[in-house]
Amino acid sequence: MIAAIREAVAERLGSCDGVVALRRRNGGVAPHLFQKGDELAEMELSPRYPLMTVVSRLHKAFPAIRLGVVARGCDERAYVEMAKRNQIDPTRLEIIGFACTAEEAQACYCREPSPKHPVAGTPPAPGPPNPLVAKYDSLPLEERRSFWKKQFSKCIKCYGCRNICPECFCEACAMEDMAWVEPGLLAPPFPTFHLIRAMHMASRCVACRECEHTCPAYIPLTVLYDLMRRDIADLLGYIPGADIEAQQPLSLSLEQAPLKK
Amino acid sequence: MSVESGFDPKIVAFMCNWCTYAGADNAGVARMESPHNILAVRVMCSGRVSPEMVIRAFRSGADGVLVMGCHIGDCHYAAGNHRTAKRMPLLRNLLGYVGINPERMELAWVSAGEAPRFVEVTQAFTKKIRNLGPLAQEVTE
Repeated sequence: MIAAIREAVAERLGSCDGVVALRRRNGGVAPHLFQKGDELAEMELSPRYPLMTVVSRLHKAFPAIRLGVVARGCDERAYVEMAKRNQIDPTRLEIIGFACTAEEAQACYCREPSPKHPVAGTPPAPGPPNPLVAKYDSLPLEERRSFWKKQFSKCIKCYGCRNICPECFCEACAMEDMAWVEPGLLAPPFPTFHLIRAMHMASRCVACRECEHTCPAYIPLTVLYDLMRRDIADLLGYIPGADIEAQQPLSLSLEQAPLKK
Repeated sequence: MSVESGFDPKIVAFMCNWCTYAGADNAGVARMESPHNILAVRVMCSGRVSPEMVIRAFRSGADGVLVMGCHIGDCHYAAGNHRTAKRMPLLRNLLGYVGINPERMELAWVSAGEAPRFVEVTQAFTKKIRNLGPLAQEVTE
């Protein structure tokens, strides 16, 4: 698979200023902007990394460059939501997509483990839904509360969930605002910190699950965000990351985006 | 203090400047009896009420939060309350997901001319919260 992608990247390097992908060097893998003449043998596909954040920074810093990016299904969904919010210029980006393996789709509970037009790999069957979602959704209020309080009490407020998130790009973050999150308190008092983030993820979260992977306290954040995704689909018929033409409903009027129930 | 339970709830009510706040004012002018539990926060539009404000109210000791604004179609800013109408049901569900009773938060449309409705809504909500008991039990137990 990687040979086909290297080929596609080499081809794109003719028309783009560079291609964002992962590179293995000195025993570690990190994002890298491959340019003409770079050794493509160093290119890697794993582990997963939200490369669209890198693309967004490059697009903002260099307003004229054309880029390519090697992307998974989740990266493409992230791109869709970022482009809608003016974080990436779609006219200056080419996506070199590849499908994840069936094992990866299972492990990520990924419902859409491939970009729309992959250049390599065959799209596997979607992974199962996260079993924790149904489990905690059926608990009575008190048990849910004790579960989440215990989970949130592990938080060390590293902001890793926010920093890794491709959809978290606000310059002024509500989670850093002293009016909403008191400084100096660890763990952040229930229910401030995590509910603010969960609420802001409504209509944005594309279920890439990077936040949960990165969390050093192993808080099952995506259970909450999956529920928010379900709500935004039920309430407004919106699936984040699915359609670049669909406007995000929370900033539209009720005539433009009516409530479904 | 309520006689039955000895619990007197604190309720933060966000009211929009153009409709509900005027409605509340009119209720006062007409000497209607509205609950003393309501702590009014006047905002320029119910669309200004961010989820953080509601969460902060709960965190600061409110037992219930009311968000009140103009009826859909009457918004002073045309579509400000449309955003409230979409945002607040999401927040309400989210409170339920982490185990805070969603009944503690309510969205209501009250216009400037609806002083009796203001009284009705606030009384019914206060009664509901009184029956639910203090939130502190749920949050800090």
